Amino acid sequence: MADPLVAGYADALFAVASVEGDPARVEDELFQFAQALRADDDLKSSLEDPSIPASRRQQIVEDLLGGRSSSATTAVVSMVVAAGRASRLPAIVDAFVERRAASRNKTVAKVRSAIELTDDQAERLTAALNGATGKDVELKVVVDSSVLGGVVTEIDDDIIDGSVRRRLGQLRESFR
Amino acid sequence: MRHRRTRFLAAPLIAALGLIVLADPAVASGESIGSCIADHLEEMIEHGHGDTDHVLHELRHEESTQDDLEACLEAPNPILPELNEIIWGGAAFLILLVVMVKKGFPAVKGAMDARAERIQTDLDAAETAKSDAQAVQADYEERLADAKGEAARVFEDARNAADQLRADLASRAEADIAEMRERAAADIEASRQQAISDLRAEVAGIALGAAERVVQSSLDSDAQRRLIDQYIDEVTGSDG
Repeated sequence: MADPLVAGYADALFAVASVEGDPARVEDELFQFAQALRADDDLKSSLEDPSIPASRRQQIVEDLLGGRSSSATTAVVSMVVAAGRASRLPAIVDAFVERRAASRNKTVAKVRSAIELTDDQAERLTAALNGATGKDVELKVVVDSSVLGGVVTEIDDDIIDGSVRRRLGQLRESFR
Repeated sequence: MRHRRTRFLAAPLIAALGLIVLADPAVASGESIGSCIADHLEEMIEHGHGDTDHVLHELRHEESTQDDLEACLEAPNPILPELNEIIWGGAAFLILLVVMVKKGFPAVKGAMDARAERIQTDLDAAETAKSDAQAVQADYEERLADAKGEAARVFEDARNAADQLRADLASRAEADIAEMRERAAADIEASRQQAISDLRAEVAGIALGAAERVVQSSLDSDAQRRLIDQYIDEVTGSDG
């Protein structure tokens, strides 16, 4: 959380989520929107384009989240986009998630998988990561088809890569 | 010098003898019959003894006239001069001889001695000049020999330097050729290795692309779940 701007927005989001009735839901919705923004270049360009009026960009957010997310999530994202910080939104959300986990003495483990994990797999993976790191881990699962298969977990600065993509990369290196 | 003096004394004697021998006879009247007849005719005409025909007749027939002509034609001794000429000539000779001995000879001798001394001096100077010239020539020849030796040494040095330079150039050229060959071989080998590497990467890319497509098509939900379970087991196994 070295960037003061990101940290400031993360604190603001944390304050807003705390007064909401379900901050965990707000957190999950913001996390999913941030992942969608990372994966969708067209959406990212539209929300970052300064030539598009702020009202128009806010309307796009309303169209995407309105009715499917909480009003707090929609309001927060709309505020950040209107402020011209859409390009920083994923980092702000990551900082917010870590801020919330830290408030509960937890460590965020960002898990990327080609398919959604079952609840059983999520519980077993959480337990395994708790044992492996000695920390109380909270999973944030992202469905990412680029891993092809398996799982990639990022905890703090550590990466545990068990993806098919990595194995194919190792195979590519062995050919050189 | 002695020989010259002898010749100098012989000169007056030869002059006196010539004077005696070549002296003109005192009574010689004429050398030819023509001149005697002419003189006689001239004398007869001067004395009025008739005309020319008469004179000619007298010349042919008068005995006395003919005797006069013979007497005219009779020549004196051509060698022995008259006595008075001998006396005067001898006296003149003696006077000339005394003058020559007293005055001429010392002067001539002094001139001759001076000339001889000058010649000797010139000869000595010539000898000295000759010696100097010989010394200069010897020095010149010595220097010439030195110069020839130096030139030969310089030429030999230049030839050796040229040989060395030629050898160096040949050696350097061989080294350059060897280096170029090695470099060309290294370039060829590098190109070959690069081609192999590129080909391998290309084959790997194609193979991996194919493998990725196969993996994607073969990884169904069950396979995905098994991979996730396997991952969880590996993380669990790494615990502790």
